[in-house]
Amino acid sequence: MWSYAFRRLLWMIPTFLGILVINFAVLRMQGLSLTDTIASGMGKGDGERKAESASQAIETWLGRFHRTGNDLPALINLRGFTTSDGVRGRLLAAERGPQVDEAQRSRAELEDLWLQGPLLVEPLLAVLKDDGAARLHGPASMALSLCAYRPLLPEDAYLLAPAEQDRIRVRNERLKQLRIAYRNDREQGFITADPEAARKRDALIALLHADAFEFSRSSRRWSAIVSETGFVDFAHRLFTGRLYSETRKALAFDVIAERWSVTAWLNLLSILIAWAVSIPLGVWSARRAGSFADRAVTGLLFSLWSIPSFFVATVLLHHFCTQDASGAAWFPNRGLSSPDSLWLSTPAYLADLAWHAALPLFCLTYGSFTSLSRYLRANVQEQLASDYVRSARAKGVSEDVVVWNHATRNSMVTMITLGAGLLAELFGGFVFVEYVFSIPGLGMLTLEAAKQMDAPLMMAATVVSVGLLLVGILIADLLYAVADPRIRSRYV
Amino acid sequence: MSKAALALLSVVALLLVVQIIDRWREPAQLQAVMQASERSASAQERMLQELKAMRHELARRSATASTDAAVEPLSPADKRDDKRDGKPRLGANFLLPYDRTHVHPAWFGGTIREFNVTPKGFNPIVENSADANEALGLVNDSLCTSHPATPQLWSESLAESVVVSDDWKTYTFRLRPGVMWQRPNCAKQKEFAWLDRDVPLTSADFAFYVEMVQNPEVECPQLKSYYDDLERIETPDDRTIVLHWKKKVFTSMSFSFGMSPLPRHIYAFSRDGSPIAAKAIGTVFNKHWFDDLGGIAGVGGYTLDVNESDKLVRFRRNPTYWGATYHFDAMEWDAEVKLPDPQLVAFKNGQVHSLTLQPAQWKSQIVDGGESRFARPDPKDPKAGRTGELGWEKVKGNSYSYIGWNLRRAIFADKRTRQALACAMPKQRLIDEIWFGLGRPQIGPVHLDNPYFNSEIKDFAYDPTRAKALLSESGWRDSDNDGWLDREIDGKRVPLRITLKFLANRPTWEAGLLVYRDELKRLGVDLRTETYEWKEMLRIYEEKDFDAVVGGWQLGSLEPDFVQVWNSASADEPRSSNHVGFRNARVDELSLRLRESFEPETRMPIIKEIQAIIFEDQPYLFFMSTGSVFVWQNRGAPAKDRWLAGVAEGLDAYHPLFNRSPLLWHFVRE
Repeated sequence: MWSYAFRRLLWMIPTFLGILVINFAVLRMQGLSLTDTIASGMGKGDGERKAESASQAIETWLGRFHRTGNDLPALINLRGFTTSDGVRGRLLAAERGPQVDEAQRSRAELEDLWLQGPLLVEPLLAVLKDDGAARLHGPASMALSLCAYRPLLPEDAYLLAPAEQDRIRVRNERLKQLRIAYRNDREQGFITADPEAARKRDALIALLHADAFEFSRSSRRWSAIVSETGFVDFAHRLFTGRLYSETRKALAFDVIAERWSVTAWLNLLSILIAWAVSIPLGVWSARRAGSFADRAVTGLLFSLWSIPSFFVATVLLHHFCTQDASGAAWFPNRGLSSPDSLWLSTPAYLADLAWHAALPLFCLTYGSFTSLSRYLRANVQEQLASDYVRSARAKGVSEDVVVWNHATRNSMVTMITLGAGLLAELFGGFVFVEYVFSIPGLGMLTLEAAKQMDAPLMMAATVVSVGLLLVGILIADLLYAVADPRIRSRYV
Repeated sequence: MSKAALALLSVVALLLVVQIIDRWREPAQLQAVMQASERSASAQERMLQELKAMRHELARRSATASTDAAVEPLSPADKRDDKRDGKPRLGANFLLPYDRTHVHPAWFGGTIREFNVTPKGFNPIVENSADANEALGLVNDSLCTSHPATPQLWSESLAESVVVSDDWKTYTFRLRPGVMWQRPNCAKQKEFAWLDRDVPLTSADFAFYVEMVQNPEVECPQLKSYYDDLERIETPDDRTIVLHWKKKVFTSMSFSFGMSPLPRHIYAFSRDGSPIAAKAIGTVFNKHWFDDLGGIAGVGGYTLDVNESDKLVRFRRNPTYWGATYHFDAMEWDAEVKLPDPQLVAFKNGQVHSLTLQPAQWKSQIVDGGESRFARPDPKDPKAGRTGELGWEKVKGNSYSYIGWNLRRAIFADKRTRQALACAMPKQRLIDEIWFGLGRPQIGPVHLDNPYFNSEIKDFAYDPTRAKALLSESGWRDSDNDGWLDREIDGKRVPLRITLKFLANRPTWEAGLLVYRDELKRLGVDLRTETYEWKEMLRIYEEKDFDAVVGGWQLGSLEPDFVQVWNSASADEPRSSNHVGFRNARVDELSLRLRESFEPETRMPIIKEIQAIIFEDQPYLFFMSTGSVFVWQNRGAPAKDRWLAGVAEGLDAYHPLFNRSPLLWHFVRE
């Protein structure tokens, strides 16, 4: 039994990591890219101001993205392998010309070059040093100044020595000053428009040479493939508990700590209620299989099952939670407890809780009555037709004992398997029910985080949901072993 | 086991569970008691402080009153001028005296509750959300202000006077004396005892604001672009602020008058009260400890009392405030209920005092009589909704929606084609039937209620015959008899086929466009619609990847500016707001001239001419000026403080270009 449990526990690790990677990748695909963010930030000013402040704002945004690890590629970082020819090609792609699609051009300029970070400093420097590519010196210096730019994080004020901070600050400022002004002309492409181009170029090369070690790629290009990725950055923050939610100004797990228990116990209750209703109902139907009552119940359950829970929740809210003229309503319209519930006696408190949770629990569970009870009905029916039941009946065992002790017990394995699936289903349904009944749980938090594009909080909430789900599945696995001696015997 | 034993065991188990829950609740109860006692202690202390400050303020006022006549003006800015009519002009203080006439001390009291979200932060420079700005509006003040009913007139606020000189490039403000910063909530904690003191507002707080906005490391691109034009700020003494702008631009006026102070005594210091090094302040400011604490400090009429994320934000009246506040002792933002339907139920249950209804809710609850406590609409009386137990009134919004034609496409080259498309749109019918009458047909790019709106422009009425004629004039014929119009462009036959892109999950637009498509089909125009998610729509706007697109603009200000949306120079710029590619040399010239014109008399003809040109050109099919339904708790409700009065007067004074202001609201006393 223990080896079985241990084996199940070990399996959870790759499952957990797999879910994490997929979630992270989907989130990164959905989230605004740096280009989008810069573009929307730039959209605030009017025409000419936008153009003026565009390059200034990019450093601002770089800082914000650096803080969340969003300046790195999601899963694989191949930036260390970009050659100077590759860089040259990308610069040329960003060049304006009569045939160039404007949107493509700007994307090439912004996304491909400006935001690639220190790993691109070496090849960009090679382009800058190349006397034959004088036309590209302007855009290369712009890209260099941004790739070598190192945003200072608030914690750097405490972590880095003041002299080091000063050095970075001075270098950032110098980088900005040493940009070679250029125009990207509609007809002629890149034109250097800076009388001091030669001086700036030499100074920029000298400046970055002085810090050549910091930008050297040979030592880190291989390790960077994995280590300098958004996922590793995220995982590092996750496992050190440093995922920070910008929208709540708090560590993500601190925010979740207040919320997860509501979702967990409502889920647990939902499963218990689903079983408590479905098992007797399934057995009752199996004993009356084919009768009018059985068919009526089946019809009713399937019609319930086909109505989406958020719709039922909204209808219930309007009809049972809206106060009439005298200020009375059947059920409360929001939350899980009355405002003064802390001072109620414990039985009154529990009654208040039950009153608040009744409709949400109904909405969460009614859908699962159908699947659970119909599966059980089929199983019990099958068991009742089997040989050992006939033998038991022949021995004179009472019908109740035959049904409950023999047929139903042997059908429970299916119920446990379904129970684990039910848990996953509940997590989905919970979001809507929490929203409609204004219950501050994990589902609502996740969706709010998604709406506010708070990726760290969303990932932390996902981690906790997945964790709860995996624990649920583990419990189901263990119950499986308890219910089915064949499984137990395999691992003993 | 016998049944009796089983029952007994169950009862014991149940009691045990109740006992466990009982023990489990104890720490929470204990904590609540501690918090309540702490709150009452700090409230007591606060009252003492406030009493002291009020006494101080009274003494100061009586001293000022007795010596007012004898005191010499402190600076030229302080010279009294009879022509203080609120209209900006050069060389003299024109600010209206501070208006306290709407305040009735007898109406003070009660807590007003509305739905809102909890802002993710209150940093006045880094945060840019509407809710944060709303909170800052309650907690902080600006140099000058304008009354919602007369938005074009400026009056005193933190500044007692302003003199504009140097051809609208220099603004000299004189600050009101004796204004004190609110003490932030955290000042009560031992760690922040260094904040538990009286700090007067000085000109340095404004200089600090400008310093932070202009600091290259501070993350506020949205503000930076506007303050780029500010050359420098001078503070010759604690009460004088001089702003020097680089050039004469109209927008710098509102940015000067609307500037708010930033609490230097908080933001320039570390958590332990030591000053932050000048070099590091930019980076530290972006993630300041005070913002992490959810703190906010201002000099305004309300102070932040409670801030619980996703639950509640509560502001209480600042009793030492020098100016006039709203009548409520406290204002609460309920952030627990998020969806429109649960919000409506909560409103009906009396949990909030007011709400804005969705079009579908307006139809089901009021038009169809779904809620009997709302009075039924009366076509003759637009104010009929005020009488019900729950009050309602239609209010005008400050945005408009449109269909933009991509002028880079050859099919739209002739303006008569675009005019024909406008004639084919039954705007009023769509507004009445699909938006349930919540809106008005929009005419041109200026708000219909703006004094600058050109009322001489006549909208293209729904007229399929005229549309047909215009299309034929612009060369569209069905030459191949396939039922669709076509025309020869660059030697090729091109059908008049338009793909219109719009945001997904907009049932009203889906229905409206279905009707429009049928109208166009009858004329031989093939309109095809496609829906996209928001992120993809952003890309479509930015990259101009459309024939036609549904869009909308928020019109926040009284003074229109046409450069952002209508300037030819930005027609080809990626990500510009001129996504339809509008070009017109006259509009360019006029809009730049408008930026340098400051007097309403010179601005008026320019704005009217621009409107006429743009409307005639029809780069947009201007569709609808938005509207909504505002509902409030009226009378007859059981709880005393659910009687919200003054709403009607507030609605009468409401101007759609400005936020609805609860200036006149108060609770009815029995």
